[in-house]
Amino acid sequence: MSKVVEISPTTRHEGHSKLVLKINDAGIVERGDWLSITPVRGVEKLAIGKTMEQVPKIASRVCGICPIAHTLAATEAMEASIGCEIPKDAHLLRVILQCANRLHSIALHNILILPDFYIPGTDKKINPFTKEEPVRSVAKRIQRLREIGQTIGEIAGGEAVHPSNPRVGGMYRNVTERAKWKMYDLAKEGLVLAHEQMEFMIAVLRNFQKRDWTEVGGKQIPIPKDLGYHNQGYMATHPVYGTSSLDEDPTWKPERWLETRPWDWYMGEVTIDFEDPTYPIGGTTKAGTKAWPQMEACTGVPTYDGQPVEVGPRARLVLFKNYDEKGTIGQHIARQMEYPDCLYSIIKCLDELNPSAKVLADKIPQGDGSFGWAANEAPRGTDVHLARVKDGRVQWFEMLVPTTWNFPTCSRALTGAPWQLAELVVRAYDPCVSCATHMIVVNEENRIVAQKLIQ
Amino acid sequence: MVLGKYKTVVSARSTDKEILEKSQDGGIVTQLFVFALENGYIDGAIVTGIGDRPWKPRPYIATTKEEILAARGTKYNISPNISWIKEATRSFGLDKVGIVGTPCQMQAIRKGQLYPIGLREVPDKIALAIGIFCMENFPYKSIQQLVEDHAGQKMQAVKKMEIGKGKFWVYTERGNVVSLPLKITHKYEQPGCHVCLDYVANLGDISTGSVGSPDGWSTVFIRTKKGEEIWNRAIAAGCFETTPIDQVKPGLELVTKLANEKITKNKKYIEERASYGVNKGLRNPYI
Repeated sequence: MSKVVEISPTTRHEGHSKLVLKINDAGIVERGDWLSITPVRGVEKLAIGKTMEQVPKIASRVCGICPIAHTLAATEAMEASIGCEIPKDAHLLRVILQCANRLHSIALHNILILPDFYIPGTDKKINPFTKEEPVRSVAKRIQRLREIGQTIGEIAGGEAVHPSNPRVGGMYRNVTERAKWKMYDLAKEGLVLAHEQMEFMIAVLRNFQKRDWTEVGGKQIPIPKDLGYHNQGYMATHPVYGTSSLDEDPTWKPERWLETRPWDWYMGEVTIDFEDPTYPIGGTTKAGTKAWPQMEACTGVPTYDGQPVEVGPRARLVLFKNYDEKGTIGQHIARQMEYPDCLYSIIKCLDELNPSAKVLADKIPQGDGSFGWAANEAPRGTDVHLARVKDGRVQWFEMLVPTTWNFPTCSRALTGAPWQLAELVVRAYDPCVSCATHMIVVNEENRIVAQKLIQ
Repeated sequence: MVLGKYKTVVSARSTDKEILEKSQDGGIVTQLFVFALENGYIDGAIVTGIGDRPWKPRPYIATTKEEILAARGTKYNISPNISWIKEATRSFGLDKVGIVGTPCQMQAIRKGQLYPIGLREVPDKIALAIGIFCMENFPYKSIQQLVEDHAGQKMQAVKKMEIGKGKFWVYTERGNVVSLPLKITHKYEQPGCHVCLDYVANLGDISTGSVGSPDGWSTVFIRTKKGEEIWNRAIAAGCFETTPIDQVKPGLELVTKLANEKITKNKKYIEERASYGVNKGLRNPYI
């Protein structure tokens, strides 16, 4: 007889989401639904009628963790729609900005996941805020890596959080020779730290893999060897940067994408009949409460070739580097392996960057309403923005963000895991929920209406 | 407290002939920036050069001695130096920024350091802020009208402008000298300046101006610890010759007098403004 347990809200990730899990008598998840309950942002609707210069700045504001990915994807979607090629050096600056953002995001995620894991050789979980060694020096290293990422982002992009420098047609300004070497020095310092940090994280993760149990809410929970496994396939467009409809051979195909409603995807109304008050942060939802995932989910469910897919670091590594480790730990390790990649890419771009070259296209067409899209490999996966621009104004805009792709995929990956480890599986996707929200489901006179904010 | 807090005040001028050649008075700002740049106190400075029209100021970021020298001399116009402060720490990659500005610009800098809204990662990068004495400022159109209509000189021909001895002076390359009584210039002033209660840049690390010192010399207030350190090092390096302020004419007395004049006049104007308009009046910006 299966029971239903709800973990709401889920913790240690960006945004607001919850887990509704059907579990068997042994506490193993039979069907898991992970859904966003962040209120709708409405950025796509806001964008309509705005100038093409404004929209990437607005799109960036959807979230503060990967605003750079949103700025770049939106800017390039505009450029794709109007058919504007940007100068080489502008592209290099954008790649630097992209990698800087990814670097700081991975480091931030380290802080969020470390409390799930153990100091190797002990039964002591890691508290990243403790003053004790060896954790203290790791925390310092993480902060320095974030600082390096943000400073490089500031120089290349004007601002570390909502970059001001990228614009439709290229960048507002190139960096000076001095700034270039400053970034170079920072990247070289970061490279050493990133290697150390990657090795540390992989050691911690491998140690966790060897364990039989982990402690959650005072209980020893067995760790299945196939924690977080799924068979959904992967989607990635580029190992580092992205692609757009301007490319000769785009690596993402809009015709393979189909958006469905959460109504068609998630569980119907259920009554929660299992609760555990010892579960961390105040226990699970009380028994007797109702949950209705298909009504509550605030995302669309995008499919690629008819199936949800995984996006993110593992997808990039699987598709471009023959990485083959599955599951939650495989995903974490893939993310750590991107650490040095970020810095190598920055250094490579800096070698090529010419500080006195122009970074703005000579001619910026105003657009004829044709369809353009750009995909950007955000830290947590492929971020596709689609747009139509006519006479400098945005007619239609859609954001297809990484965690939207991951919601249904991760929901499937929950099957077979003890329910107490469901959050562990979720965190491996480095979820960033706030941008993944753009669907509203309303009940109007007893008629269920799934209304897309877009269109 | 009309002169603000300061550690020391002296009369000084640069010992560098090249700087003095085109400097307004003692070449204090130029010399200090050059010294600070050469000794690693700053990586670059935001200074005021000439823009796309004659005597129209254009702020820019100078990272070499030549670039700093190109900004010698006072331009009696509004120059938005603060507009570069963020960019200096971004695409210019500066970690220690020097900046020169009028008292209001010093206030902006300090306010920005206190509440860095829109100035993320900027406050700790401001390494040296030099304030200059300021009675009031002019928009570009005003200066154009004063020089071309009242003084009857071409802007392109002007070598130097100066306010001193109660007059506005225009010197041309070919040797014409015209002086206008300040009574004429008053109506061309920027109205925003009339609420300012700061004459000697109370919030600079160092503030300087010609008033109080003989021709070719400047009065220098050293106000902060940082300012004092750089100033003492510069003196030790022989960058400046100095005279104690009580041994020069007209000395601090005149500075105090003018500061008092400005503050009294502007306080009166602030009160007056409260009665402007119908039933509302203009706000006192200090409360």
